[in-house]
Amino acid sequence: MPWYRRTYDWLERRLQLEGPIKDAVLHPVPKSTASWWYVFGSASAVLLVLQVVTGILLALVYSPSASHAWNILQVLNQQVPLGWFLRAMHGWGSNFMVAVVVIHMAQVFLFGAYKFPRELTWIIGVFLLLLTLGMAFTGQVLRFDQDAYWGLAIGASILGRVPWIGGQLVHLMLGGPIINGATLTRFFALHVFILPGTLLVLTVLHVWMVVKLGINEWPMPGRLVRRETYIQEYNELAHKDGLPFFPGAAWKDAYFAAAILLAVAICAAIFGPYGPTGTPDPTVINTVPRPDPPFLWIYTVLSYLPPEMETPFLLIVPPIAIAVLLGLPFVAGVGEKSWWRRPVAVFTVMFLAVCWASFTHLATSTPWSPKMNAWSGSPIPTAFLEHRTPLERQGANVFQEKQCRNCHSIGGSGGERGPALDDVATRLTEDQLIRQVLLGGGNMPAYGSTLSPPETTALVRFLNTLHPNYQPAASDASRAVAEQGGVPPASTVEPGNGQHKTQ
Amino acid sequence: MDEKLPPPSPHEQEQLLERDRISRRSFLMNVGLAINAAVGVLLAVPVVAYILGPVMRRREYLTWVDLGDAAKFNPGETKLVSFRNPFTNEWDGETANIPAYVRTAAPGRYTVFAVNCAHLGCPVRWFSESQLFMCPCHGGVYYADGSRASGPPERGLFEYPTKIENGHLLIEAGQMPTLSNRAAVRPCGEQSQPTLVKRIAPCPGTDEPTIG
Amino acid sequence: MRRFGLVLLATTALSGCHMPGQPQPGPEVPRPEAVMSFAQLYGENCSGCHGADGRNGSAMELANPLYLAIIDDAALRNIITNGEKGTLMPGFGNAAGGNLTDEQVNALVSGMRAKWAKPNVLSGMTAPAWKASHPGDATRGAAVYAQACARCHGNTPQKPGPAGSILDGSFLALVNDQTIRTIVIAGRDDIGQPDWRNVMPGRALTDAEITDLSVWLIAQTPPHPGHPYPGTQPLAPHTR
Ligand code: FES
Repeated sequence: MPWYRRTYDWLERRLQLEGPIKDAVLHPVPKSTASWWYVFGSASAVLLVLQVVTGILLALVYSPSASHAWNILQVLNQQVPLGWFLRAMHGWGSNFMVAVVVIHMAQVFLFGAYKFPRELTWIIGVFLLLLTLGMAFTGQVLRFDQDAYWGLAIGASILGRVPWIGGQLVHLMLGGPIINGATLTRFFALHVFILPGTLLVLTVLHVWMVVKLGINEWPMPGRLVRRETYIQEYNELAHKDGLPFFPGAAWKDAYFAAAILLAVAICAAIFGPYGPTGTPDPTVINTVPRPDPPFLWIYTVLSYLPPEMETPFLLIVPPIAIAVLLGLPFVAGVGEKSWWRRPVAVFTVMFLAVCWASFTHLATSTPWSPKMNAWSGSPIPTAFLEHRTPLERQGANVFQEKQCRNCHSIGGSGGERGPALDDVATRLTEDQLIRQVLLGGGNMPAYGSTLSPPETTALVRFLNTLHPNYQPAASDASRAVAEQGGVPPASTVEPGNGQHKTQ
Repeated sequence: MDEKLPPPSPHEQEQLLERDRISRRSFLMNVGLAINAAVGVLLAVPVVAYILGPVMRRREYLTWVDLGDAAKFNPGETKLVSFRNPFTNEWDGETANIPAYVRTAAPGRYTVFAVNCAHLGCPVRWFSESQLFMCPCHGGVYYADGSRASGPPERGLFEYPTKIENGHLLIEAGQMPTLSNRAAVRPCGEQSQPTLVKRIAPCPGTDEPTIG
Repeated sequence: MRRFGLVLLATTALSGCHMPGQPQPGPEVPRPEAVMSFAQLYGENCSGCHGADGRNGSAMELANPLYLAIIDDAALRNIITNGEKGTLMPGFGNAAGGNLTDEQVNALVSGMRAKWAKPNVLSGMTAPAWKASHPGDATRGAAVYAQACARCHGNTPQKPGPAGSILDGSFLALVNDQTIRTIVIAGRDDIGQPDWRNVMPGRALTDAEITDLSVWLIAQTPPHPGHPYPGTQPLAPHTR
C-alpha cells in the first residue's frame, strides 16, 4: 500500500468522515436539477469563503482605530505589496456576493423551491441575505473614510427617528454620543466576529438542509406540491430519474465557481479597490457622501419620498418586507411551483428588478442633489453668452454667483434638482421669471431676500435670452392688450401673434 | 474498517435513556441544568449592562463648549467653526473634531447650527452668496436662519443652545444631533427671518410648503 | 479553489507590471486644502464665471495677457481672497469664508501667470496703471463717453447701441469703477472688445481719461437701480 493510502486510512479510522461525506456527495438528485440555473447557491458559498479568506488577510494589517484606520488603508493601497489587490478582491467579492445571493433568492422564489418541505431553508436563506447586506454595510464602515463617516451619520439619523427610544438606539449604535473610535470598534466586532460567525453557522444549516431535503426538482406546470405525497414523489424522481449529485450536477457548480472568482479577480485588477475617499474628518464639509453599490437604491428612495412619509416608511416598511419574506413559505407552502402558472410571482420579481435597476441607475447620477461646485466650476457654454448685452452678461454672473447653477443646468452641465434652463424663456415670461426667482415655489427656495433689485433685473434679463434656435419667447397676451389701452386685438388668431416678444 | 466501534443503535439509546429517566442521576442532571441556567442569567446581567453601557451612562451627552472669543464673529456673517467634542478619547483622532456654523444675525445675537442636515445627517454647506445652506445628499436646502427652504427635510437645521460668558461664545454640545434628542426641540417664533420668508412660512420647522 | 490559486499566481507574476486598478500614489481624495494643481483649483473655483480656459466667460477674461500685464500679484491675490466689493466677485479665501488657503490662492495666481501671461504683450507701450492714481472728474468723463463709448453702447439707456447699454442702472449697480477701468484698459479679445488703444478712433485713451470715464459712469447709477417702481421702498433690506 502506498504511503498516502496508509495515512488516509489512519486518519479515516479516527475521523470517520468518509461515510457522511459520501452520503452527502453521492446522494441522488433529480436529473433536472443538473442545470445552470442551480449554480448560484454554491457560488454564494464560494464567494463567502473568498470573503473570509481575503478578510482574514486584510485583518493581518488593519487596525480598528479611528485615528489610524484610514492611514492603514493608504498603507495597504500604496506600500504593502498587492495590498491594494486584496482590498479590491474583498470589495468586489462583496459586490458579487450580494448580487449572487440576490439572484439565488430570485431563482429559488421563481422555482417555488421555498415550498414544502423546504420552508426553513428559505427562512434561513432570508436571514443569510440580511446578514450579507449587514456585512456589506459594516464593511463600508471599516473603510472609515468620508463616505463611511457620513453613511454612519445617515444610519444614526434613521435610528433617531424611532419614537421614544430613538436617542438611546443612536447612542447604542455609535457606542457613544458621536461617531468616533467606539463606533469603529463596534462595527469591527460586528463585521469580523458577530455577523460572519452567524453567517457561517446559518450557511452550514442551510446547506445541511439542502442535502437532507434534496435539491428542488425542476418545476413542471401542473405538478402540485402536496404535503402528503411530496416526499414520496420527490424520492421517486430522484431515484428513478436521478443521478448522483457528484459529479452529475456538481461539475456545473465547479465551472461557475471558477468563473465567478475569475470575474472578481478581473474586476479587482481593472477597477481596483474602493477608496478610501477623503479622511473621516467631519470638519471637511466639502464632501459628497455616496453609499456603496448595494445601497444605492435606498439612496434614491430616501431622496424621493415625500417628507411626511419618510419616518413611517423607514420604520415600518423594512419590518414588513422581512415579515413578508419570512411568511412566504407559510402562506404559499404548497401548490403550484412552476413560474408558468404563477404570474403574480413572476411580475413581482420583474417589478422589483426594474425598480431596483432604475433606482440604482438614478443614484449614479443623483439628479436630486445640488451640484455643489457647479456655480464656480461649470462654465456657461459660449453659445449662451454670444451677442448678449453687458447687463445680460452680468445676469449670467448673478446666475453663477447666487448658486442657481447648483440646481439648474445650462447646456447640459449643472445641477438637475431644478429644471434645465436652456430654453426657460420659451416657458416663462419676464414677469413669471421675476416672480419665480423672488418667491421661489415648487421645490425652489425664495431668493427675494438675497437678490438686490439690480441683481434680479440682470438675472431675469439673462434668463430671458434663453430661447435658443429661434424658438419664440413666451409672451403675455394681456400685456399687449394693456399697451393698446385695454383694446383687445381684432383677432386673436392673427398669424404670427405671440411669435414676437413684447418688451 | 471493521474495527470501527459501532455507535449504539437507536433502540439501545432508547433503553439507556429509559433506565435513567427516574433516578438519582436524572435528578442530579436536572439540578445541574438548573444551576447552569441560574449562572447563565447571572452572567447575562453584566454582559447586557456592558452592551448597554453607552446608553445607561446617561440619556444625553451635553455640556457647555467654548467656541472662543465672541468678538471674532462679524455681524451678518455665518462662519464655520469646529470644536473638540467634550466626550472623547485620544484615539478618536479627527472624528472628534465637530464642525458647526455660527451665525451672527446682529451684534451679540448668535445662532449656532449643527452641520448635520435635519433630514438624515449629511453635512450641509453654507453659501454666503445666496445665503443658503445646501445638503449634498438628497438636496435639502435651508435659509440663512436655518429654516427649511426646500427638499426632503421636515424642519429647519438643528441649533445648539448658546450663551455668552466672559465675552466667550459657549454652546451646549456633545452628541450628534438627531430628531430624537434635545437638538430636535426648537422654539418657533421671534427668530429673525427675512420678511419675505416670514410671510411665506409662518413658523420654521412646520412642513408647510414654501409657497406656490 | 485551484483555479483561484492559479489566478492569484498569475496576478503575483503580473504584479511587476502596472494593472489599471492599482491606486495612484497619494490618497484618492486629498484633503481640500491639499489640492494644489492649478487646473483643478481653477476648474472648480473660477471657471464657472471666467470661462473654461480663462476665456469666453461671463466675467472678466483672465487669460488676457494685457490684463495680467497691468495687474500685480498682490492685487490678484487680494481679489481672489476677499472678492471685489461692489461687484459680483465673491471672496474665495478662508478669511472671507471661502474654501481656499493662502497657498492655494498663490497657486492660482502663479498658475494664471505661467499659463496665460505673455512677456511682450505691451510691445514697448506703457499701459495705464491698473489702479487709478487720482480721483477723476465726472464732467470730463461725460465727454470721453460721448467720444469713445457712445458709438457702440448708445447715448442713453433707452437707446442702446449695437453692443448693448452700459448706462443701464442695474448694470452700473453690479460693477464698480475698477471693473470699468480694467475692461477699458485690457479689453476682451475673446469676445472681440477693444482695449484702451482701440476704443477711440485714431488714438489710445489716456490714464486720466479712463479715470474720468469710470467716475462718470458710476455716477450715472440711479438711486434705486433695477427697481421697477422707483417711488416705493424695497421690500426687504438687501442683506449683503
Ligand atoms: S441628509 Fe440632507 S437632504 Fe437628506
